[in-house]
Amino acid sequence: MAYMSMGEAHRRITDYLNRFSDAVSSQDVASLKQLLSFSSNSPSLLSLADSLNVFQDANRLIKQSDNYSPFADITVPLFRSLQHYRTGNLVDAYLAFEKSANAFIQEFRNWESAWALEALYVIAYEIRVLAERADRELASNGKSPEKLKAAGSFLMKVFGVLALGTVHLCRSVIRSIETARIFDFEEFPKRDKVTYMYYTGRLEVFNENFPAADQKLSYALINCNPRSEANIRMILKYLIPVKLSIGILPKDWLLEKYNLVEYSNIVQALRRGDLRLLRHALEEHEDQFLRSGVYLVLEKLELQVYQRLFKKIYIIQKQKDPSKAHQMKLDVIVKALKWLEMDMDVDEVECIVAILIHKNLVKGYFAHKSKVVVLSKQDPFPKLNGKPVNS
Amino acid sequence: MERRHHSQSHSQRQQGRNHFSSSSSNQSRSNNRFSFPKSSSSSSSANDVRDRRRETQEEKQEEAIVGTCPFMCPEAERLQRQRLRDLAVFERLHGDPRNSSPALAVKKFCRTMSAKEVRASDVRPLPVLEETLNYLLSLLDSTEHPFEVIHDFVFDRTRSVRQDLIMQNIVNDKAINMFEKIVKFHVISHHKLRSSCSSSSISPLHYLNLEQLTKALTSLYNLYEANWSSKPIHEKEAEFRSFYVLLHLDSNGQPVGESLSLWFRHVPSPIIKSKEMWFARQALRYFQMGNYRRFLSTVAAEASYLQYCIIEPYIDEVRSLALCCIHNCYYKLHPYPLGHLSKVLMMEESDVELFCNAYGLQTCIDELGNKLLPTKQTTFCRPKGGLQNYSFLGFQQLGRQIEL
Repeated sequence: MAYMSMGEAHRRITDYLNRFSDAVSSQDVASLKQLLSFSSNSPSLLSLADSLNVFQDANRLIKQSDNYSPFADITVPLFRSLQHYRTGNLVDAYLAFEKSANAFIQEFRNWESAWALEALYVIAYEIRVLAERADRELASNGKSPEKLKAAGSFLMKVFGVLALGTVHLCRSVIRSIETARIFDFEEFPKRDKVTYMYYTGRLEVFNENFPAADQKLSYALINCNPRSEANIRMILKYLIPVKLSIGILPKDWLLEKYNLVEYSNIVQALRRGDLRLLRHALEEHEDQFLRSGVYLVLEKLELQVYQRLFKKIYIIQKQKDPSKAHQMKLDVIVKALKWLEMDMDVDEVECIVAILIHKNLVKGYFAHKSKVVVLSKQDPFPKLNGKPVNS
Repeated sequence: MERRHHSQSHSQRQQGRNHFSSSSSNQSRSNNRFSFPKSSSSSSSANDVRDRRRETQEEKQEEAIVGTCPFMCPEAERLQRQRLRDLAVFERLHGDPRNSSPALAVKKFCRTMSAKEVRASDVRPLPVLEETLNYLLSLLDSTEHPFEVIHDFVFDRTRSVRQDLIMQNIVNDKAINMFEKIVKFHVISHHKLRSSCSSSSISPLHYLNLEQLTKALTSLYNLYEANWSSKPIHEKEAEFRSFYVLLHLDSNGQPVGESLSLWFRHVPSPIIKSKEMWFARQALRYFQMGNYRRFLSTVAAEASYLQYCIIEPYIDEVRSLALCCIHNCYYKLHPYPLGHLSKVLMMEESDVELFCNAYGLQTCIDELGNKLLPTKQTTFCRPKGGLQNYSFLGFQQLGRQIEL
């Protein structure tokens, strides 16, 4: 360690304290985050630790200045923690950090808005890392490792502050995790990653962000322990509706193996273009789908079922008379629907045709006078190609 | 994934205390709606949420104030506002801006930092609040003032009534009744304020009204749930629950509060099966699918007046979609008869022409004198300003439903 003068040490300490109070008064969470992230081992924090060892009277400095004393409850134990951290006393580092973190939560609650959310997240992360290392130290000294449990109850306090009862706030928490880059996601144990992706993937389903839901739930599925069937089932319960929405159907054996037979009829309906079956399936399992939150997603599959039905009619017509196949009379569609016991008047069928064309599920146009759908000769029923039906 | 199980109840009980010392109208948000999924059956989670809410209700009762103010406005406030000439038109005695009376002055809404700062003499007990609310709502019939002025006053003063109710933790049937009336006021204002503003940007009054509508509605839902054990279903609950669905038809807009999928998870089964909720769900289904025909005809046939008020903005959106579809997807050589378009859009034929014009489209006439809309015109464009108010066929029946 290079020699540091008293003056230099004093300067570094006041520098840190100034940055802390500036960050708070200007609500600058980016700067605040950096001041708290011990495990980053940033040179500035390391040299701060050294400074604290040289200039030993930081506490008095904090308490005597009007600029620094409001945050004394946070900074005094924080400094102590940093010193312990630097000298490798992880248990003491943890205890002091926990004290500082508790004081931070108190302040957080008093601040006007959740501007410091990301900083709170850094603290949550740091406390956990410190707790784990403290426990290792305890275990190696033959004592019982209980700091992680203590950190757990602190984290519950954090969650109590954060979980303000509306999931949409959860979204901002999640966004701040995902964009903050305060840790490398890959470093977490696989089990935690799967859990995280499952919960956030589910959230995306509720908010109908299907590409994101697909990505997250698929990750969870791929990385889930292949022997924990219960967990796989939970993931599939949400992944299947997502996949259906982008036009990907599961095989029957998958549904049977994981006991997700409530989806069987829906998959069948999509395969056959059978509207009646879809409506029936939704009715039969309405309660279950509503409680799990996938009902609205499944309801939306109706347009894809219509597309499939039209395609079948087209295929049949093509077999009868290839030259006329691309012209579909509205009457024929109405008849097909009547056969499926769907009571729809001509105006409504016309409307559905128009919507399907508008949303690019059918390529062509509608001739109102002759009541004929004229299909494009090329690819009249475009596949979804992994994208949800556009609005 | 089972790990988080036990921590649920701890964080739930935390919600009972108001963490943020913000105005009481935020208190409804502190009731936790987020529940960790259990691998057990779905219905138990709805019951657990209700149990936990009851716990926090009991905790809140210990902290609640009991109001003693016998007037619609605390005397001290009335005297001060008289001095400062801070009296609304409705509060002025014989039009004098410096003079009011206990029969006219109504307590203003004021944000309090915490319940600890409030004096019991400034808070009105339940019977006074009921009288106050009835008085305020009676002003809505007045023809002396423009609607915006009446709305503004009732808006603010009912907000104060809500605040007094919440501060005293009054959660019984009468509170439900009052909140239902207040929500109704906001819903009707939602409709009336819309027709009075002509610009495409939503007026601030309209936006603020929607904000309070949502807050009052959330409080009302909490009240329904708080009363669940004593009286599972209230007479109007189904209709008022349906409002939430109708307010969230557009899932692509910025979600305010919970997404519908999450929200439906804890709606009691009898409500889901009610005819009001059935209507709302059908409207949602047709809207999301783009089925303009069924959407418009179902609204005309089945919406209650209040449901119509809420769904009204979407009617224009759906008509817009219908016009888009017909214009872009129909054969160029078969112009579309306006008479038919009128049926599809559920609009008077005279309005249909104006509607088309607003989208940069011209109509034409055939040899028999029928008006037609040629499709695939190159001049099609979204209207720059807002749309004017068009007729809605079937609205006449709704008019008969208004009971105030």
